[in-house]
Amino acid sequence: MQKKLAWFLQHMRREWQIYVLLAPTIIWFILFLYKPMYGLQIAFKDYSIFRGIAGSPWVGFEHFQTLFESDTFVRALKNTVIISALSMMFGFPMPIILALMFNEILNQTYKKTAQTLVYLPHFISTVIIAGIVVTAFSPSAGIVNTIIGWFGIEPIYFLTKPEWFRPIFIGSGIWQEAGFSSIVFLAAIAGVNPSLYESAVVDGASRWQMMWKITLPSIMPTIIIMLIIRIGNILEIGFELVILLYQPATYQTADVINTFIYRQGLQGGQYDVAAAAGLFNAVVAFVLVMTANTISRRVSRTSLW
Amino acid sequence: MSGVVLDKIVKRYGAAQVVHGIDLQIEPQEFVVLVGPSGCGKSTTLRMIAGLEEISDGNLTIADRHVNNVAPKDRDVAMVFQNYALYPHLNVAENIAFGLRIRKVKKPEIAKSVSEVAEILGLTDYLDRRPADLSGGQRQRVAMGRAIVRHPEVFLFDEPLSNLDAKLRTQMRAEIKRLHKRLGVTSIYVTHDQVEAMTLADRIVVMRDGRIEQIGRPMDLFNNPVNTFVAGFIGSPPMNQLTAVVEGGDDAPFATLGETKVKLPKLPQLQGQAGRKVVVGIRPEHALITPVDGASAIPLDLDLVETLGSEALLHTHVGDTPFVIKTETHGDIDHLYDVDKVYINAEKIKVFDAETGDVFAHPTQG
Repeated sequence: MQKKLAWFLQHMRREWQIYVLLAPTIIWFILFLYKPMYGLQIAFKDYSIFRGIAGSPWVGFEHFQTLFESDTFVRALKNTVIISALSMMFGFPMPIILALMFNEILNQTYKKTAQTLVYLPHFISTVIIAGIVVTAFSPSAGIVNTIIGWFGIEPIYFLTKPEWFRPIFIGSGIWQEAGFSSIVFLAAIAGVNPSLYESAVVDGASRWQMMWKITLPSIMPTIIIMLIIRIGNILEIGFELVILLYQPATYQTADVINTFIYRQGLQGGQYDVAAAAGLFNAVVAFVLVMTANTISRRVSRTSLW
Repeated sequence: MSGVVLDKIVKRYGAAQVVHGIDLQIEPQEFVVLVGPSGCGKSTTLRMIAGLEEISDGNLTIADRHVNNVAPKDRDVAMVFQNYALYPHLNVAENIAFGLRIRKVKKPEIAKSVSEVAEILGLTDYLDRRPADLSGGQRQRVAMGRAIVRHPEVFLFDEPLSNLDAKLRTQMRAEIKRLHKRLGVTSIYVTHDQVEAMTLADRIVVMRDGRIEQIGRPMDLFNNPVNTFVAGFIGSPPMNQLTAVVEGGDDAPFATLGETKVKLPKLPQLQGQAGRKVVVGIRPEHALITPVDGASAIPLDLDLVETLGSEALLHTHVGDTPFVIKTETHGDIDHLYDVDKVYINAEKIKVFDAETGDVFAHPTQG
């Protein structure tokens, strides 16, 4: 141990420039990610802003018990898992498919235009996205209802119907992020050795075969890494969009842990319960990412660490 | 049989022409090596034969079939790439089988072919390994296996040994030569390494700036280079080239190298050419350190002795021009440090036109 420490100090003295470059990131992590962890203890306290964190009495797992006895939290947990699972099922493959499709476009102008068009929604504020979605699905003037009206279907109040919330939420999420997320996979595709394709061409492979037998297997490590990260974020649903799109009529399918925390903590002032919900969220995410990483390392030799 | 004919093959990229109308006839079962410095168009030519680059002009015929517009897969050629081009996610057996699987060959047949090829290349014990778990030489063998397994009409090699270390390169060179003898498939091999060209080729094609400089058997190119470029490219170390002026009468032409008069061969092209600027070419092997009857002796200062074992390279200079002598050591190099003269036999000297670089060939030479 002492040997290691001595080696580290020696290394630090020799390569001090590198450590200086590393410092801002470490400071940022400490200030914004580790220091706030001190506040996590309020999940186990009967917290009052007047008594402060240190002055509030410990209550053990009481808030967790409250959470799991609350139908609203259990519903939010269930919704979170369902929306995440559906997002992953439909949203995760989409950027990969897009990247593979972009890779097959030979005309550079067409390719660049198409890429720009699908990247654009990423740069639009979530509030605007929500506005667009609300307008598009409006029963009076929305484009969706106008189109289905052509087929003689009565207007549907999409955003007030619980059964429509999830498809609309997941669909708009894909629309906003799939293009931008495809950049990672495009970069991975760009890294595939071109002579693999040339060799396959001489061997007689069609473009379709090359996509399946070369491109996709070659970017598999990237896909796996992205999947592990995604699994780690499974309970982290983009709650701004949920808050902007849901309403009490759709809470049944739309309320997720983060919106629950928001209502409990910021609107209801129950910081301790909200902190307990947040901590639960983080622990689950930690376990999931560890598990996914271990499985991936064993099965595919690819892992985050 | 499967010869390859290039008839005025041209390659253009936009306005830039990089291959300027190449004519080359490759006989069935022949091993032809395209050699030249980087950017000479040799790889582009090979890629045009493979179908990986479009032919801008001219005709390409493989096995009597015009193939300009034929897809690579239908040309019946197999190519071995410089960086092996192995699929990292497939094991050795799957890599070798890839081309057959694409062509929907039946599984038992694939298994048989793969095991035959693995046997030939000594890969039987590695069939389950992935490329990442193989050495450079083994990877190169897998790449060759992938080409062999398809029984193509023509093998194309694009600098296949340049990623290997010197020892492996020598070993693989011999393997490629043996393989060619065994399979008898027409082979076109691209390299910038003249040693590979000399050792492998039935015929060598020396290229420069998108043009063919000379085609011939290795020893023809070595003995009778058509110009200073080929003379400088073929042979290791390359031919010493010294600029001089023709002097003396037609019966006894000579040139002054450094401060020494050196007899030149009596070439008809030198008749009446006193005063003409020429390049005198002397192979390091033809520069002798022991006196020979009738040879010109040039005094020299020794710069450096490089020992290769059975041979040594003596780095000297004649005037200001570096001059290399290759000589046998006979197991001892001490005496080489005493060398102060080099003996040149006029008949071994090549004379080139200083302006065009073309050789003044002896009438009996082509």
